[in-house]
Amino acid sequence: IFEYNGSALVAMVGKNCFAIASDRRLGVQLQTIATDFQRIYKIHEKIFIGLSGLATDAQTLYQRLVFRHKLYQLREERNMKPETFASLVSAILYEKRFGPYFCQPVIAGLGDDNKPFICTMDSIGAKELAKDFVVAGTASESLYGACEAMFKPDMEAEELFETISQALLSSVDRDCLSGWGGHVYVVTPTEVTERILKGRMD
Amino acid sequence: MSRRYDSRTTIFSPEGRLYQVEYAMEAIGNAGTAIGILSNDGVVLVGEKKVTSKLLQTSTSTEKMYKIDDHVSCAVAGIMSDANILINTARVQAQRYTYAYQEPMPVEQLVQSLCDTKQGYTQFGGLRPFGVSFLFGGWDKNYGFQLYMSDPSGNYGGWKAAAIGANNQAAQSMLKQDYKDDITREEAVQLALKVLSKTMDSTSLTSDKLELAEVFLSAGKVKYQVLSPESLSKLLVSIGLTQPAAEVT
Repeated sequence: IFEYNGSALVAMVGKNCFAIASDRRLGVQLQTIATDFQRIYKIHEKIFIGLSGLATDAQTLYQRLVFRHKLYQLREERNMKPETFASLVSAILYEKRFGPYFCQPVIAGLGDDNKPFICTMDSIGAKELAKDFVVAGTASESLYGACEAMFKPDMEAEELFETISQALLSSVDRDCLSGWGGHVYVVTPTEVTERILKGRMD
Repeated sequence: MSRRYDSRTTIFSPEGRLYQVEYAMEAIGNAGTAIGILSNDGVVLVGEKKVTSKLLQTSTSTEKMYKIDDHVSCAVAGIMSDANILINTARVQAQRYTYAYQEPMPVEQLVQSLCDTKQGYTQFGGLRPFGVSFLFGGWDKNYGFQLYMSDPSGNYGGWKAAAIGANNQAAQSMLKQDYKDDITREEAVQLALKVLSKTMDSTSLTSDKLELAEVFLSAGKVKYQVLSPESLSKLLVSIGLTQPAAEVT
């Protein structure tokens, strides 16, 4: 079921910044039906979540997260910290332990002191915190290899963008279910840059 | 005076009145005034803060103005604990709508659903009504900017200008005289502050006794802004309602 729609997600940590990238293909098994599908969503200025796996579950899960986050913002009058948000996602996924959402989220954010935070989890909420990069989706095995090879700690925003883009594009080329370009967000304490990548359109 | 009919909310009096609901409205008449004015480019909500002790811990949270959703906010008059419950209910209702329909809840529907909750407490359950009146200000794409007033009975109405809380009759009649249909947001702010200064008990207006919030469109998105005490002081001075600090010896 995880391979029904196809997806590729990766997030990397840099020096006081992070980058999160996804592919843009939406397919129904072997047929591509959209080439501009959005997998990465903004929760607030400093937290982004990418959702891989079954597209319908990804969308519904995102809507539920917006619901919970907005209420949090209204009641606490402040934005959620990334660690808190990750715990929230984990709890929501575990609620459906015996009938799960077929999604693997990748969460990336800047904490209060602008320290980058990334994590991923499986579809029932097991958190995996990492200091360097996290990957998810049908292309995850290729992504692991590419990131491991290309990653260096403490990269600046521009270099981080180049690295994550190369890792993403080379991995999705090896995976038939993901591709059709890339969508990269690079987030620093002062700005968010969103870029579309043109790769092999297949 | 038909005291037998007081204690149960769910019973009509022989004259056809619901005493508990009326007593709830009395409770609100002792609370700080709140005024709302609808203008062609926004809604202005002003509230009088009753609790102004120096010992009160000042934090960023407000006493009278609350945000319900990105496009709707409200001013409160009455029992604050009751208000908190209702505000929470309103927030959850707004989010549920957005979750189901993926668009912001129309303002009137939000007011209606909250008033349905309030009405429930006047008809069944044996619980007392909420002792709160609200002024809701918001924007939606069907009707633009709107102002609604609701009271403990669960009644609500759409208004161009309204007042709740202490001296609301006097405030309402002043608003009726001075309101013009094509009022702008700046003029609405000035009118609201002037009317409030006349109905307030204290002799002069200072920014720590007031809260002012505006709902307006900025770059196509609805913004809700509570004025900081500094900007509020400057505004009061410019309208001439307070003496500038430098002049006071």
